Amino acid sequence: MQNQLLDIPQENQLSRKLRRTIAWNVVTSIVRQSRFRFGLVLVLSLIFWAAVFCLFYDAFNFIDSMHAEVMSLLFNTFFSALMVMMIFSTGILMYGGLYRSAESSFLLTCPLRAEAIHAHKLTEALWFSSWGFILLGSPMLIAYGIVRDAPWSFFIMLLPFIVTFVVIPASIGSILCMLVVAGLPRLRLHALSISLAVAAIGILWGLWATFGAVQSQLLTAAWFEETLSRLAMTEQVFLPSWWLSSGLLDAALRGESRELTYKSTLEALNFLGLILANALLLSLLASWTARWTYRKGYSNLQAEVPIRRHRQLFWLDELLSRTGSRIGNPIRLLLVKDLQVFRRDVTQWSQFVIFFGLLGLYFYNLRSFNYTHVYASLIGHLNLAVVGLILSTFTTRFVFPSISLEGRRFWILGLLPIHRDQIVWSKFLFSFVGSLVPCLGLIVLSDSMLRLPWGTVFVHLTCCLALCGGLSGIAVGMGASMPNFRESSPAKIAAGFGGTLSLVLSAMFIILIVITVGFTNHFNLLQQTVGQLQGNTANWLLGSSGGQVASILIVVPGGLLATFLPLVLGIRAFRKLEP
Amino acid sequence: MIQFEHATRTYGSKVAVSDLSLTIPSGELFALLGPNGAGKTTTIKMLVGLLRPSGGVVRVCGHDLITETRSAHLHLGYVPDEPYLYDKLTGHEFLRFIADMYRIPRDLSQEYIKREIDRFELHEFANELAENYSLGMRQRLVFAAAFLHDPDVLVLDEPMVGLDPRSVRIVKDLLKAKTADGMTVFMSTHTLAMAEEMADRMGIMVQGDLKFLGTVSELREQVDVETRSLENLYLEITSSSTERQRELSDDT
Repeated sequence: MQNQLLDIPQENQLSRKLRRTIAWNVVTSIVRQSRFRFGLVLVLSLIFWAAVFCLFYDAFNFIDSMHAEVMSLLFNTFFSALMVMMIFSTGILMYGGLYRSAESSFLLTCPLRAEAIHAHKLTEALWFSSWGFILLGSPMLIAYGIVRDAPWSFFIMLLPFIVTFVVIPASIGSILCMLVVAGLPRLRLHALSISLAVAAIGILWGLWATFGAVQSQLLTAAWFEETLSRLAMTEQVFLPSWWLSSGLLDAALRGESRELTYKSTLEALNFLGLILANALLLSLLASWTARWTYRKGYSNLQAEVPIRRHRQLFWLDELLSRTGSRIGNPIRLLLVKDLQVFRRDVTQWSQFVIFFGLLGLYFYNLRSFNYTHVYASLIGHLNLAVVGLILSTFTTRFVFPSISLEGRRFWILGLLPIHRDQIVWSKFLFSFVGSLVPCLGLIVLSDSMLRLPWGTVFVHLTCCLALCGGLSGIAVGMGASMPNFRESSPAKIAAGFGGTLSLVLSAMFIILIVITVGFTNHFNLLQQTVGQLQGNTANWLLGSSGGQVASILIVVPGGLLATFLPLVLGIRAFRKLEP
Repeated sequence: MIQFEHATRTYGSKVAVSDLSLTIPSGELFALLGPNGAGKTTTIKMLVGLLRPSGGVVRVCGHDLITETRSAHLHLGYVPDEPYLYDKLTGHEFLRFIADMYRIPRDLSQEYIKREIDRFELHEFANELAENYSLGMRQRLVFAAAFLHDPDVLVLDEPMVGLDPRSVRIVKDLLKAKTADGMTVFMSTHTLAMAEEMADRMGIMVQGDLKFLGTVSELREQVDVETRSLENLYLEITSSSTERQRELSDDT
């Protein structure tokens, strides 16, 4: 039989059909197998969307009443920052998709053009890198349209504006990625690290130049105006972000007469045309780059010699495995093993460092602001909640799947002279001790920057201890109760029913802890600062020292319960397990 | 059908495949043998277009893998050692996707898909998502996909891993029938018995060099020890080359 090559429209049609079929199968299997998770994600997304909408609605009302011209500056800042982030995120996604995925290896052995494979992967990367923009941008822009009483055409034009705009940074990111891989195969890592370092320095410099070096006193009207004038650098006419914000502002303009409205809508359409033309041009350039560089770059990358490193025993591993009594030895050895895996798994520690590092940076900068005691107390509690929430994402993403992942090596563990309970305990200890150090550090940093009284710091540290224990207990216990030994990807294990339930329970536990302590402590501070909370007995009772002690009495047993109940249930289930 | 002309591939300073010149005509089943790190996978990657030769040319049905990649791929079927399937496609949908990729007309493709499903006994799970497949089921589906468009050249990298004895028999019979019809098969394997049973010619590669090229009987003649097994002959060739290489590197 004489096979034939596909032409360009047929290749695009094939790619679309593939994505459609996969999307349909994913949705139907989620609805069939994980209704709870699907429903939860849907409800939480809607809540998030509504909350962001309300926030922006209020903010736009506030800004609209003060300085209407500020909007242009804010839109430009927002979209230009977004553009830079999307260039980087798409570049990284395209590197993984084009050069490191099993799918690309498969497609490269098929009779497809390099441009078709690139277009297929770019569409995928576009989805991944722009869903956040849609989730955040759509409530923002709809709120803006409602506040400004925009004509109906504004709402119609929103989607075309967003869709055409995201193609621009995505194409730039993709082109940069392919050029780096094809042109600098040997210097790839160095080039990438240097460009990332330069970008990071540039961003930090930009932030410092914008906010830090302002001469006026903080949060005054003069400071605000000075900062806004520095942000004017984002209003460059050659930037696609400027075209987008100008187009949206014009589209939202309702003139005094029909003609004026019509004129501004036409102006918006001009900007849309400009963005569309540039998006098409850049996607064409990306396609050409793929034609000339993709296969060559892929081959170069395949031919790179991996760096083989002789790994020696780290001093901490040696210390852990050699010290202590012989009774606890198996747990210590398992801890050393987990520590080694954690250190060598870049995904785990890099996310850990990035998230906690950013939090640390933010907490450190709290000293720049002079808050009243009441605000400081409120921010301190919110910071406690943020630390807990971030920790819960880590325990769900990395700790929950750890027992399931051991299942694939169960024959090794099963042959070792260790009790199954010790495996569960070692996972718990690893998570608990590993999270305790950074979380306590962050809380101390936050509270000291906010200059909170020692009593409050003590309460926060107690809460943090309870959070670390409880969240680790929930993740390990649930992981042992509901293991998934068929799956090898920790992300997929965490995304299953058990992982979702673990995340929900963790969130409920955090809310319980923060609200219990937050209310009493906050009211106590109010009482000390403002005087007695007269006229409201309940508030007065909550705000007394007795209220504070009572909250601690709830938090400590609550933490112990959240720690040991799931652990005990998990250990029982794990003992009976037949992998 | 398959031509390597002075094909060389280096990884940094290491030569993975050195000046390989080899022609495999249509209707031949060629088995490439060699120890781990000999250059077999690199050779296969060059043959399917995943790696470009640092020097020389690789052709499939007269099409250069670099300048006429798509035309060459049109004649190729490939079963890798770690087959890729879309987890969220069913076996049937995957075969449909392959049929569309080779632009097989709809009426014919239905017939071909049914033929491969029958041949590799995929009925039970053809409508299940591939994420639920065992290794053997995945391998059978990949074979079905590779045979679907009746390629002129079939490249197999360790093809029997994960297959049960019945499936192995099906594949062996099919390969014999297809080569008799003119299909060229290039197979990399560690299973000497399989090469001995199936291959018209075989090549033994050691550290990037093709140390032997010929039939089993020619191999026996070359070593001049008629009574010894193929395994002993193979070990003799590979170990002597490896030792020689080690001696050379010690000297330098």
